[in-house]
Amino acid sequence: MLKDMQFIIEIEDLRKRFGDNEVLKGVNLKVKPSEVVCIIGPSGSGKSTLLRCVNLLEKPSSGKIILEGIDLTQPGVDINKVRQKVGIVFQSYNLFPHLTVEQNLLLAPMRVQKRSREECLEKAEKLLRRMGLIEKMRAYPDQLSGGQQQRVAIARALMMDPDVMLFDEVTSALDPELVKEVLDAMKELAAGGMTMLVVTHEMGFAREVSDRVVFMDHGVIVEEGKPEEIFTAPKNRRTKEFLSRVLTA
Amino acid sequence: MLFVAEINLAQLIDKYFNFKLALEFLPHLLSAARWAIIYTLVGESIGIIIGLVIALARISSFKLLSYPASIYVNLFRGTPLLVQLMFIYYALPYVGINLPPYLAGIIGLSLNSGAYVAEIFRAGILSIPKGQMEAARSLGMSYGQAMFYVIIPQAVRVVIPPLTNEFVALLKDSSLLYVIQVPEIAYRMRSLASASFNATSYTLAALIYLSLTIPLTYFASYMEKRLSRYKSHA
Repeated sequence: MLKDMQFIIEIEDLRKRFGDNEVLKGVNLKVKPSEVVCIIGPSGSGKSTLLRCVNLLEKPSSGKIILEGIDLTQPGVDINKVRQKVGIVFQSYNLFPHLTVEQNLLLAPMRVQKRSREECLEKAEKLLRRMGLIEKMRAYPDQLSGGQQQRVAIARALMMDPDVMLFDEVTSALDPELVKEVLDAMKELAAGGMTMLVVTHEMGFAREVSDRVVFMDHGVIVEEGKPEEIFTAPKNRRTKEFLSRVLTA
Repeated sequence: MLFVAEINLAQLIDKYFNFKLALEFLPHLLSAARWAIIYTLVGESIGIIIGLVIALARISSFKLLSYPASIYVNLFRGTPLLVQLMFIYYALPYVGINLPPYLAGIIGLSLNSGAYVAEIFRAGILSIPKGQMEAARSLGMSYGQAMFYVIIPQAVRVVIPPLTNEFVALLKDSSLLYVIQVPEIAYRMRSLASASFNATSYTLAALIYLSLTIPLTYFASYMEKRLSRYKSHA
C-alpha cells in the first residue's frame, strides 16, 4: 500500500518560530516512498528543526506535514502513533544508559506496541547481527564506542518497524575513524528500500547514497535536485558558495 | 571568676561524662535511639512517596498541578519543623482533630521530608539530559512511560546521595519530636538529666547522634563519588 502512495511525506509551507526567531520560513518538501533525501546547509539553516518537526519533537508554528495522507498538524492526531512510524536517530545517540543494548531495543516495542518478548528478541538479534553487534547484546552503552552506540541507536529505531527514518547529523559527534561504520549501516538501510531523510555534513554520503539533495539556508529550501546536479552544477549562488566552502575544507 | 578556676578536670568529667551514669543511661538512650530511627525511616519512606508525586506535579506543564505542588514545597520548607509539629499536635485539636503523639510525629516528619525530597527529585529529574526524554518520546512512548521507564530510573541514581543527606537531616530533626511527647533521644536525654542532676545524658545523646550520622554522611559522599563515574551521555 505504501508503494502505491505517491508521496509518503508532504510538507507544505512549514514555519517554525522560537520566540521572535523564525527558524523555518515556509518549507515545501515532498518525499516518495523509498526515497533517500539528504538535507545539507550551513549550521543554523533550519535543517535539524525541519527534521524534528516531522516526528513532532518540535511543534510547527504553521503549515502542514502530511504523513501517509494524515496531516500531523491537525488537533486530535495521536502523536505516539505517528512517532512509531517515524524513527529518528540523533547526533548524541541518546541510548538509555541504565539499560543494556538488548533492553534499549526491547523497551519501546514491548511497552508501546505490546509485542511479545520472544518476537522482539528475535527481531533485535536479527538487527544486531546485521549491524555486527550481536556480541554486545548484554553490554551497557558506556561500554561501547561512539560508532557502536550510534548503530545500536539505529537498530533501536528500526525495532518499531518505522516507515520513515530521520537522521539528524548522526556522525557529527563521532571520531573520524568511526564515521564509516555508521554510514555503511545507513547505506544498507537505504539499499533495503527505507524512506530516509538525512541531515548531514557528509557530502560524500549525500552524493553517493541520496536520490535527492536539498540545500537549505536561512530557513528555506534554496535548491534541490539530483546529487550529481547539485554537486557538479549548482544553480544558486548560495549553494555554490556553501559547496565550495565544505568541499575544499 | 574564682568559681570557674576551681573546677578541675575530674569534676568536669564527673559532670559531663560520669562513666557509671553513662552505663546506666545507655540502654535507655539506645532504646530511644531505636525509636528515633524508626520514626525517621517511616517519615522518610512516606516522604519519598509524597516527594515523588510532588516533584512530578511541579515539573508538569499543567498549572493546576504545578502551582499547588510549589505551594506545598514552599509551605513546608518555609516554616520550621517545630512549628509544623506543634500545629499538628496542639493546634489541630481546636477543630476536633486529636492525634496521638506518635501519629502526629509521623505525619509531621512525613509532610516535612516530602517537601525536601520533592526538591531533590525535581533536581534529579531535571539533571537527566533532554535527549533522553526526546529519544523515549520519539519511540512512541507516552510522557508517563518515558518518565517511568527512562527518566526516573536514571534520576534515582542521581538522588541517592542527597536523599541520604536528607535522611541525616531528618534524623537530627526528629529530636524535635520531644515537644509533642514522643519518647525519642532528646526526650529521654532531658528526663535523665533532670532526674540525675548531671549532664552526662546530654553528652551521651550527642555521641549517639554522631554515631548514626557520621557513617551515613560518609556513605553519601562515597555514593556521590561512585555515581559520578556513570554519567549518561548528553
